[in-house]
Amino acid sequence: MPNWISGMNLEPIIKTITQNQINKYADASGDFNPLHINQPFARKSQFGRTIAHGMLIAASLSEMMGVNFGIDWHISGRMKLRFKAPVFPGDTATTFGEVKEVIDLNSKSEIVCVIGVKRQTGENAITGEARVMVNTIQ
Amino acid sequence: MTVDYSTLTAGQEVSNTTIVLDSNTITRYIESVSGDSTLRYPLGPDVVPPMAIAALGLRAIINDLGIPEGTLHSSQDLAFLGPTFVGDKLTCRASVKLNSVRRESRFVSISLCINDAGDREVMTGTTTLIMPATGTLQDA
Repeated sequence: MPNWISGMNLEPIIKTITQNQINKYADASGDFNPLHINQPFARKSQFGRTIAHGMLIAASLSEMMGVNFGIDWHISGRMKLRFKAPVFPGDTATTFGEVKEVIDLNSKSEIVCVIGVKRQTGENAITGEARVMVNTIQ
Repeated sequence: MTVDYSTLTAGQEVSNTTIVLDSNTITRYIESVSGDSTLRYPLGPDVVPPMAIAALGLRAIINDLGIPEGTLHSSQDLAFLGPTFVGDKLTCRASVKLNSVRRESRFVSISLCINDAGDREVMTGTTTLIMPATGTLQDA
Protein backbone atom coordinates (compact mmCIF):
# COMPACT_ATOMS: atom_id res chain seq x y z
CA MET A 1 0.00 0.00 0.00
CA PRO A 2 1.59 3.33 -0.98
CA ASN A 3 2.19 6.17 1.41
CA TRP A 4 -0.62 8.41 0.21
CA ILE A 5 0.15 12.08 -0.26
CA SER A 6 -1.79 14.94 -1.73
CA GLY A 7 -1.55 15.15 -5.51
CA MET A 8 -1.10 11.42 -6.15
CA ASN A 9 -3.17 10.02 -9.02
CA LEU A 10 -5.18 6.82 -8.70
CA GLU A 11 -4.83 4.06 -11.26
CA PRO A 12 -7.75 4.55 -13.68
CA ILE A 13 -10.30 2.10 -15.05
CA ILE A 14 -11.14 2.33 -18.75
CA LYS A 15 -14.18 0.69 -20.33
CA THR A 16 -15.94 0.92 -23.67
CA ILE A 17 -19.67 0.84 -23.03
CA THR A 18 -21.90 -1.20 -25.33
CA GLN A 19 -25.68 -1.55 -25.64
CA ASN A 20 -25.24 -5.24 -24.86
CA GLN A 21 -23.55 -4.32 -21.59
CA ILE A 22 -26.33 -1.84 -20.77
CA ASN A 23 -28.93 -4.54 -21.46
CA LYS A 24 -27.07 -6.94 -19.17
CA TYR A 25 -26.92 -4.31 -16.45
CA ALA A 26 -30.67 -3.74 -16.77
CA ASP A 27 -31.21 -7.49 -16.26
CA ALA A 28 -28.79 -7.68 -13.34
CA SER A 29 -30.01 -4.54 -11.57
CA GLY A 30 -33.71 -4.76 -12.42
CA ASP A 31 -33.63 -1.19 -13.79
CA PHE A 32 -35.57 -1.46 -17.05
CA ASN A 33 -36.10 2.27 -17.54
CA PRO A 34 -36.69 2.49 -21.33
CA LEU A 35 -34.26 5.39 -21.50
CA HIS A 36 -31.55 2.75 -21.23
CA ILE A 37 -32.87 -0.13 -23.31
CA ASN A 38 -35.65 1.02 -25.63
CA GLN A 39 -34.34 2.79 -28.75
CA PRO A 40 -37.67 4.26 -29.98
CA PHE A 41 -38.43 5.63 -26.49
CA ALA A 42 -34.91 7.02 -26.07
CA ARG A 43 -34.95 8.67 -29.53
CA LYS A 44 -37.82 10.87 -28.34
CA SER A 45 -35.98 11.84 -25.16
CA GLN A 46 -33.70 14.84 -24.62
CA PHE A 47 -30.72 12.56 -25.32
CA GLY A 48 -31.88 11.27 -28.71
CA ARG A 49 -30.67 7.73 -28.04
CA THR A 50 -30.21 5.26 -25.23
CA ILE A 51 -27.89 6.10 -22.35
CA ALA A 52 -26.05 3.93 -19.87
CA HIS A 53 -27.32 3.60 -16.31
CA GLY A 54 -25.50 6.05 -14.06
CA MET A 55 -24.79 3.27 -11.60
CA LEU A 56 -23.20 1.14 -14.34
CA ILE A 57 -20.68 3.90 -14.99
CA ALA A 58 -20.30 4.60 -11.27
CA ALA A 59 -19.34 0.96 -10.75
CA SER A 60 -16.01 1.75 -12.44
CA LEU A 61 -15.34 4.37 -9.76
CA SER A 62 -15.85 1.84 -7.00
CA GLU A 63 -13.67 -0.59 -8.96
CA MET A 64 -10.94 2.07 -9.13
CA MET A 65 -11.16 2.69 -5.39
CA GLY A 66 -11.10 -1.07 -4.71
CA VAL A 67 -8.02 -1.53 -6.89
CA ASN A 68 -6.22 1.33 -5.16
CA PHE A 69 -7.36 0.83 -1.56
CA GLY A 70 -8.34 -2.87 -1.31
CA ILE A 71 -10.37 -4.03 1.68
CA ASP A 72 -10.26 -0.55 3.23
CA TRP A 73 -12.65 0.57 0.50
CA HIS A 74 -15.15 -2.14 1.53
CA ILE A 75 -15.20 -1.25 5.19
CA SER A 76 -14.83 2.52 5.18
CA GLY A 77 -15.38 3.85 1.66
CA ARG A 78 -17.67 6.78 1.05
CA MET A 79 -18.44 8.61 -2.15
CA LYS A 80 -20.64 11.46 -3.25
CA LEU A 81 -21.39 11.41 -6.95
CA ARG A 82 -23.12 13.81 -9.31
CA PHE A 83 -24.25 12.50 -12.69
CA LYS A 84 -23.36 15.38 -15.00
CA ALA A 85 -23.71 14.01 -18.53
CA PRO A 86 -24.92 10.81 -20.18
CA VAL A 87 -22.66 8.03 -21.41
CA PHE A 88 -23.83 6.54 -24.70
CA PRO A 89 -23.29 3.10 -26.19
CA GLY A 90 -19.93 3.19 -27.98
CA ASP A 91 -18.44 5.70 -25.56
CA THR A 92 -15.19 5.03 -23.73
CA ALA A 93 -15.54 5.89 -20.06
CA THR A 94 -12.31 6.57 -18.16
CA THR A 95 -12.20 7.08 -14.42
CA PHE A 96 -9.92 9.59 -12.77
CA GLY A 97 -8.94 10.11 -9.18
CA GLU A 98 -6.50 12.34 -7.36
CA VAL A 99 -5.66 12.49 -3.66
CA LYS A 100 -6.82 15.90 -2.50
CA GLU A 101 -6.09 15.64 1.20
CA VAL A 102 -4.66 13.23 3.76
CA ILE A 103 -6.10 13.71 7.22
CA ASP A 104 -4.10 12.08 10.03
CA LEU A 105 -6.26 10.51 12.74
CA ASN A 106 -3.98 8.75 15.26
CA SER A 107 -3.27 5.29 13.82
CA LYS A 108 -5.32 5.89 10.69
CA SER A 109 -5.51 8.41 7.89
CA GLU A 110 -8.53 9.54 5.97
CA ILE A 111 -7.71 9.84 2.29
CA VAL A 112 -9.89 12.35 0.46
CA CYS A 113 -9.94 12.02 -3.33
CA VAL A 114 -11.45 13.99 -6.17
CA ILE A 115 -12.92 11.37 -8.49
CA GLY A 116 -14.92 11.19 -11.67
CA VAL A 117 -15.52 9.64 -15.05
CA LYS A 118 -14.79 11.27 -18.39
CA ARG A 119 -16.14 10.42 -21.81
CA GLN A 120 -13.72 10.17 -24.72
CA THR A 121 -14.71 13.74 -25.61
CA GLY A 122 -13.23 14.98 -22.34
CA GLU A 123 -16.66 15.77 -20.95
CA ASN A 124 -17.23 14.83 -17.32
CA ALA A 125 -19.96 12.20 -17.05
CA ILE A 126 -19.64 11.89 -13.27
CA THR A 127 -17.88 14.09 -10.75
CA GLY A 128 -17.52 13.57 -7.05
CA GLU A 129 -15.50 12.94 -3.97
CA ALA A 130 -14.43 9.74 -2.24
CA ARG A 131 -13.12 9.18 1.26
CA VAL A 132 -11.49 6.10 2.69
CA MET A 133 -9.80 5.30 5.99
CA VAL A 134 -6.42 3.54 5.79
CA ASN A 135 -4.02 2.34 8.46
CA THR A 136 -1.06 4.65 8.89
CA ILE A 137 2.25 2.95 8.10
CA GLN A 138 4.50 3.13 11.16
CA MET B 1 -48.89 -0.07 -9.20
CA THR B 2 -49.83 3.61 -9.10
CA VAL B 3 -47.88 5.97 -6.88
CA ASP B 4 -48.92 9.52 -6.09
CA TYR B 5 -45.48 11.03 -5.69
CA SER B 6 -46.84 14.36 -4.51
CA THR B 7 -47.94 12.68 -1.25
CA LEU B 8 -44.50 11.32 -0.34
CA THR B 9 -43.23 12.98 2.82
CA ALA B 10 -39.82 13.11 4.48
CA GLY B 11 -39.30 10.14 6.76
CA GLN B 12 -41.90 7.98 5.02
CA GLU B 13 -40.70 4.41 4.53
CA VAL B 14 -41.07 3.34 0.91
CA SER B 15 -39.31 -0.02 0.92
CA ASN B 16 -38.40 -2.77 3.36
CA THR B 17 -36.99 -5.69 1.44
CA THR B 18 -34.78 -8.72 1.92
CA ILE B 19 -31.91 -9.07 -0.53
CA VAL B 20 -30.27 -12.46 -0.99
CA LEU B 21 -26.78 -12.31 -2.46
CA ASP B 22 -27.04 -15.56 -4.37
CA SER B 23 -24.23 -16.61 -6.65
CA ASN B 24 -26.27 -16.22 -9.84
CA THR B 25 -27.31 -12.65 -9.03
CA ILE B 26 -23.77 -11.58 -8.22
CA THR B 27 -22.29 -13.32 -11.26
CA ARG B 28 -24.75 -11.53 -13.53
CA TYR B 29 -23.93 -8.22 -11.89
CA ILE B 30 -20.18 -8.71 -12.27
CA GLU B 31 -20.56 -9.73 -15.92
CA SER B 32 -22.66 -6.65 -16.63
CA VAL B 33 -20.24 -4.13 -15.12
CA SER B 34 -17.10 -5.86 -16.42
CA GLY B 35 -17.91 -5.08 -20.04
CA ASP B 36 -14.90 -5.43 -22.29
CA SER B 37 -12.49 -6.10 -19.42
CA THR B 38 -12.31 -8.32 -16.39
CA LEU B 39 -13.53 -6.66 -13.22
CA ARG B 40 -10.39 -5.86 -11.26
CA TYR B 41 -11.32 -6.90 -7.81
CA PRO B 42 -8.50 -8.43 -5.84
CA LEU B 43 -10.47 -9.54 -2.79
CA GLY B 44 -11.56 -13.03 -3.81
CA PRO B 45 -14.59 -14.47 -5.55
CA ASP B 46 -16.84 -14.62 -2.48
CA VAL B 47 -16.57 -10.92 -1.66
CA VAL B 48 -19.49 -9.02 -3.23
CA PRO B 49 -18.61 -5.76 -5.02
CA PRO B 50 -20.08 -2.97 -2.88
CA MET B 51 -21.78 -1.38 -5.88
CA ALA B 52 -23.71 -4.62 -6.38
CA ILE B 53 -25.28 -4.00 -2.97
CA ALA B 54 -26.10 -0.46 -4.01
CA ALA B 55 -27.63 -1.67 -7.30
CA LEU B 56 -29.77 -4.25 -5.52
CA GLY B 57 -30.88 -1.65 -3.00
CA LEU B 58 -31.91 0.60 -5.86
CA ARG B 59 -33.81 -2.28 -7.43
CA ALA B 60 -35.87 -2.49 -4.25
CA ILE B 61 -36.68 1.21 -4.51
CA ILE B 62 -37.53 0.97 -8.21
CA ASN B 63 -39.86 -1.95 -7.58
CA ASP B 64 -41.55 -0.67 -4.44
CA LEU B 65 -41.87 2.95 -5.48
CA GLY B 66 -42.80 2.22 -9.10
CA ILE B 67 -40.29 4.64 -10.57
CA PRO B 68 -41.77 6.03 -13.81
CA GLU B 69 -40.30 5.77 -17.31
CA GLY B 70 -37.73 8.41 -18.18
CA THR B 71 -36.69 9.09 -14.59
CA LEU B 72 -33.12 10.41 -14.32
CA HIS B 73 -30.57 9.58 -11.64
CA SER B 74 -29.21 12.92 -10.49
CA SER B 75 -26.85 12.05 -7.65
CA GLN B 76 -25.74 9.21 -5.44
CA ASP B 77 -24.07 9.23 -2.04
CA LEU B 78 -22.82 5.92 -0.64
CA ALA B 79 -21.01 4.70 2.45
CA PHE B 80 -19.63 1.17 2.58
CA LEU B 81 -19.41 0.02 6.18
CA GLY B 82 -18.52 -3.65 5.94
CA PRO B 83 -17.81 -6.42 3.46
CA THR B 84 -20.57 -8.71 2.22
CA PHE B 85 -20.21 -12.20 0.84
CA VAL B 86 -22.00 -14.43 -1.62
CA GLY B 87 -24.78 -16.18 0.29
CA ASP B 88 -25.44 -13.28 2.69
CA LYS B 89 -28.99 -12.18 3.34
CA LEU B 90 -29.44 -8.42 3.75
CA THR B 91 -32.28 -6.16 4.80
CA CYS B 92 -32.82 -3.01 2.77
CA ARG B 93 -34.89 -0.15 4.17
CA ALA B 94 -35.56 2.99 2.18
CA SER B 95 -37.30 6.18 3.22
CA VAL B 96 -38.02 9.56 1.70
CA LYS B 97 -35.46 12.21 2.57
CA LEU B 98 -36.71 15.01 0.35
CA ASN B 99 -39.58 15.54 -2.09
CA SER B 100 -39.70 18.85 -3.91
CA VAL B 101 -40.76 20.35 -7.23
CA ARG B 102 -38.56 22.76 -9.15
CA ARG B 103 -39.69 24.10 -12.50
CA GLU B 104 -41.45 21.13 -14.07
CA SER B 105 -39.44 18.40 -12.38
CA ARG B 106 -39.89 16.53 -9.13
CA PHE B 107 -36.73 15.85 -7.12
CA VAL B 108 -37.08 12.85 -4.82
CA SER B 109 -34.23 11.89 -2.50
CA ILE B 110 -34.38 8.46 -0.92
CA SER B 111 -32.26 7.33 2.02
CA LEU B 112 -31.11 3.74 1.89
CA CYS B 113 -29.92 1.62 4.80
CA ILE B 114 -28.76 -1.95 4.25
CA ASN B 115 -28.04 -4.28 7.17
CA ASP B 116 -26.65 -7.80 7.32
CA ALA B 117 -28.22 -10.75 9.10
CA GLY B 118 -26.59 -9.63 12.35
CA ASP B 119 -28.31 -6.23 11.96
CA ARG B 120 -25.00 -4.47 11.30
CA GLU B 121 -25.10 -1.67 8.76
CA VAL B 122 -23.12 -2.64 5.66
CA MET B 123 -24.16 0.22 3.43
CA THR B 124 -26.00 3.50 3.66
CA GLY B 125 -26.74 5.98 0.94
CA THR B 126 -28.91 8.62 -0.59
CA THR B 127 -30.31 8.48 -4.11
CA THR B 128 -31.72 11.55 -5.82
CA LEU B 129 -34.05 11.04 -8.76
CA ILE B 130 -35.56 13.57 -11.17
CA MET B 131 -38.97 12.74 -12.57
CA PRO B 132 -41.82 14.64 -14.23
CA ALA B 133 -43.64 16.83 -11.71
CA THR B 134 -47.10 15.45 -12.44
CA GLY B 135 -48.48 13.95 -9.26
CA THR B 136 -49.59 10.47 -10.23
CA LEU B 137 -47.72 8.21 -12.63
CA GLN B 138 -48.31 4.69 -13.76
CA ASP B 139 -45.75 2.05 -12.94
CA ALA B 140 -43.61 1.06 -15.94
